Amino acid sequence: MSGLSEAYITGAGSFLPGPPVPSAEMEAYLGLVGGRASLFGRKALRWNGVETRHYALTPDGTPTHSNAGMCAGAVRAAVEDAGLGLEALSFLAAATTQGDWLVPGHAAAVHGELGCGPIEIASFQSVCGSSLMAAKAAWLSVRAGEHRAAAACAGEFSSRWFRPAFYEGTALVDAKGRLRSEADFLRFTLSDGAGAVVMEPAPRPDGLSLRVEFIDLVSLAGRFDPCMWAGAPTEGRADPMATWSHAGPVAAHAAGAVALLQDFELLKRVIRAWVGVYLQKVDEGRIDPARIDHLLCHYSARSLREEIVALLEKTAGMIPEEKWFSNLASVGNIGSASIWVMLDGFLKSGRLKAGEKILCVVPESGRAFVGFMLLEAVG
Amino acid sequence: MSAVADVLRRLTVAFTEFEGRLEQTPLIRKLTRGRFEVADYRAFLVALRQQVKDGALWMSRAASNIDEEHLELRSLLMRHAVTEHRDFRLLEADYVATGGALAEIRQAEKNIGSEALSAWMFHEASRPNPFGLLGAMWIIEGLGSIKAAEWGRLVQQRLSLPDEAVRFLLYHGENDAEHIGEFEKMLDLVLPDAAVAERIVKTARVTGRLYALQIEEIAA
Repeated sequence: MSGLSEAYITGAGSFLPGPPVPSAEMEAYLGLVGGRASLFGRKALRWNGVETRHYALTPDGTPTHSNAGMCAGAVRAAVEDAGLGLEALSFLAAATTQGDWLVPGHAAAVHGELGCGPIEIASFQSVCGSSLMAAKAAWLSVRAGEHRAAAACAGEFSSRWFRPAFYEGTALVDAKGRLRSEADFLRFTLSDGAGAVVMEPAPRPDGLSLRVEFIDLVSLAGRFDPCMWAGAPTEGRADPMATWSHAGPVAAHAAGAVALLQDFELLKRVIRAWVGVYLQKVDEGRIDPARIDHLLCHYSARSLREEIVALLEKTAGMIPEEKWFSNLASVGNIGSASIWVMLDGFLKSGRLKAGEKILCVVPESGRAFVGFMLLEAVG
Repeated sequence: MSAVADVLRRLTVAFTEFEGRLEQTPLIRKLTRGRFEVADYRAFLVALRQQVKDGALWMSRAASNIDEEHLELRSLLMRHAVTEHRDFRLLEADYVATGGALAEIRQAEKNIGSEALSAWMFHEASRPNPFGLLGAMWIIEGLGSIKAAEWGRLVQQRLSLPDEAVRFLLYHGENDAEHIGEFEKMLDLVLPDAAVAERIVKTARVTGRLYALQIEEIAA
């Protein structure tokens, strides 16, 4: 026996800033780089299938919220959903891709916005997968008996990084004023918002709670170069000695080393690596596709290419598409916050029944990382 | 769960493990990090030629060791060997198109990894009913259908080479579509059989490891 107690998700919450923004209005919020309409935007939208998203900006690009503020909103909603007050919370694990400050950590900023009394905090900075890194910390803290109520939150304010000032006058824009696809694609992929869950050592007295069966996190960064990154130009990005701070902020910006970028060729290889990790979990019996009632994957089935779906089917690894729940198309791809916003939407959809199992899959292209969380509905 | 799906899944895991290892090799790192030069490409072609030339040979030998109970598989392997046994000429032509001398690629020695890979393949092919080699085929065919075209495009892009210097890599990617389906049929001819299933997966893993060693050992 491990001597650890169980831990349950007893509440979930989301914070989506402003109204849903349709695709046709995106560029008003993000701004035109060098006064030109995007070259790759439509292609990106076809691929990711997002129809509406939220921005913490007004249509002229003025910020309406901070990343930390959105996270605090999501934590409050999750605590409320659990039927608790903020005073019950003794641990906060916060995740983001890029916080409001470079220093200190994101959890300090979220705690600051929450304004509650002294608590333990932990910051997790990565990309989408940081959500589950934070969740694992919260889960283990509760299981170890260190905390009776812990929150894991994740938030993104991606849009401010997509404003023209991040690209104009840099090497990312060519002589004809065209923005490189590595940068442009992401502008039409990611958007803003936050999500959170509350974990406790016992299920809530009424309604459904989610027993966390496991959280498995696998990094393949030892083998793959950065695939989605900020802080280095495209060429030479794998060298930590060539990152932005060595050049200094002004030169780094001019070299295009500050903006968020993605290597789409590498992404194809990284997707296969994720599939490999997943199938290994299936093979080891850690994940039994036949016993999964609901799949929440931070990746739409339609953006997986046909051959990947065929491969999953032929290897008895596919979870039928009717078991996939996703709200990516309506809330957007919110990076680390996506899995919590998706889980929150799922719980509120009323589809879940006691005894059912939910598999959450969070692939992160940052540097070939993938996380899995298996939940069981109890109550 | 069907025996074929079970083995296909384990083979997919073996392939992705192999692919991750390739990504770490100095040669492929040069390619993906934009530091690949013509000399690297030529060294790559030299190593590939050894393996491609041997491929049809071990496949023929394997076919000759398949018993009468498995004639369909024997036919498939023989046809496969015929289809591929001249492919190394294409590699030689690519080499020459980069400005290399034909004699160089023909006379080049096998590197340490190529020696190990070749010895392993012929050893396996010499056993009675060498069904484990289906695992080796999965790895090597997977390279052809998944990696070759990807590498070909990167090579062409980095080195600005004409099409006729990258034909082997680019041409392989085109035979992609039927890959898994055909392979499933072959597995169906020898499964279910727990010992064969184990051997196929083991052979795939060893082959992937030795193939990666071959790429690791390429020094321009």
